[in-house]
Amino acid sequence: MAVSERSTRERLLSVLDDVEVLSRELIEMLAISRNQKLPQPGEESQILELLVQRDGEFQELMKVAQEQGKVHQEMQLLEKEVEKRDSDIQQLQKQLKEAEHILATAVYQAKEKLKSIEKARKGSISSEEIIKYAHRISASNAVCAPLTWVPGDPRRPYPTDLEMRSGLLGQMSNLPTNGVNGHLPGDALAAGRLPDVLTPQYPWQSSDMSMNMLPPNHSNDFMLEPPGHNKENEDDVEVMSTDSSSSSSDSD
Amino acid sequence: MAAPEQKTQEDCSLLPQVHDIIKCMDKDSQDVHQELNKLKTKIQEAREQISTMPGISMSPEQQQQQLQNVREQVRTKNKLLQKYRSLCMFDIPKA
Repeated sequence: MAVSERSTRERLLSVLDDVEVLSRELIEMLAISRNQKLPQPGEESQILELLVQRDGEFQELMKVAQEQGKVHQEMQLLEKEVEKRDSDIQQLQKQLKEAEHILATAVYQAKEKLKSIEKARKGSISSEEIIKYAHRISASNAVCAPLTWVPGDPRRPYPTDLEMRSGLLGQMSNLPTNGVNGHLPGDALAAGRLPDVLTPQYPWQSSDMSMNMLPPNHSNDFMLEPPGHNKENEDDVEVMSTDSSSSSSDSD
Repeated sequence: MAAPEQKTQEDCSLLPQVHDIIKCMDKDSQDVHQELNKLKTKIQEAREQISTMPGISMSPEQQQQQLQNVREQVRTKNKLLQKYRSLCMFDIPKA
């Protein structure tokens, strides 16, 4: 078993060494026997036999070595093919990864879109209602000043003090103010002012939204009152102007 | 192919060289030393050739085993590639 595990190269070199040693011994023996004229045919023939045997082994091993050389060439071709296949597989792997990434992104985006669609469907509002509100908001000139507005005009895009007092809130002034003021933001409360835009967060306000936003008489106020005629309004305007300027400076 | 192989076999054998040396010794020729040098050179050349021959760093059995492994690798990879290339495309169901 030990002999079969040795490589062909080791065996060849070993046999070659033996051949060299045997041939040298034979030649030396022949030289000595000629000089000394002592016949030693037994030993010489033994060495000769060994030499012939080793030479035969050497030739056989050389044949085996040549066969192994051919096999080695075939193996090299196969290994090149393996390398080529490996690179093909790697290329396919890369493409697969890319496709997976693209698909994952597309699926994620589609899922997000579906979520948005579902969310919109749940909170759907009729377009008529939205248009109605838009109408009311713009009808009160809260979005844009009326065309006839000039500086000094008491009209404002928010309910003025007078309008508030003459509206439902003013009528509710008999109610304790703590509960109302407690809902206001701290800075507006400290300044003693109302914020410019009151968001419809109060229950009594949302019920008002279903009715007209302003009391009915106020929708005509913009049309009927000429600018600057009412002194009280002017005072209010001046106060409000101061407030608005201070609020704007505060906001700055 | 038989002729070159035979030539190679004859080249491999060192016996003709030894025979020439013994003949020279019998004739008491002056060429004995020359022949001895030739033998030494041939042995040295054989050693160098053996050192550079490819594929003999293992035994024939080990080489055959390796060859089988490489062939199996090629077969497996070919199969794998064929499988990947012939994967079915996604069928989009018609709504």
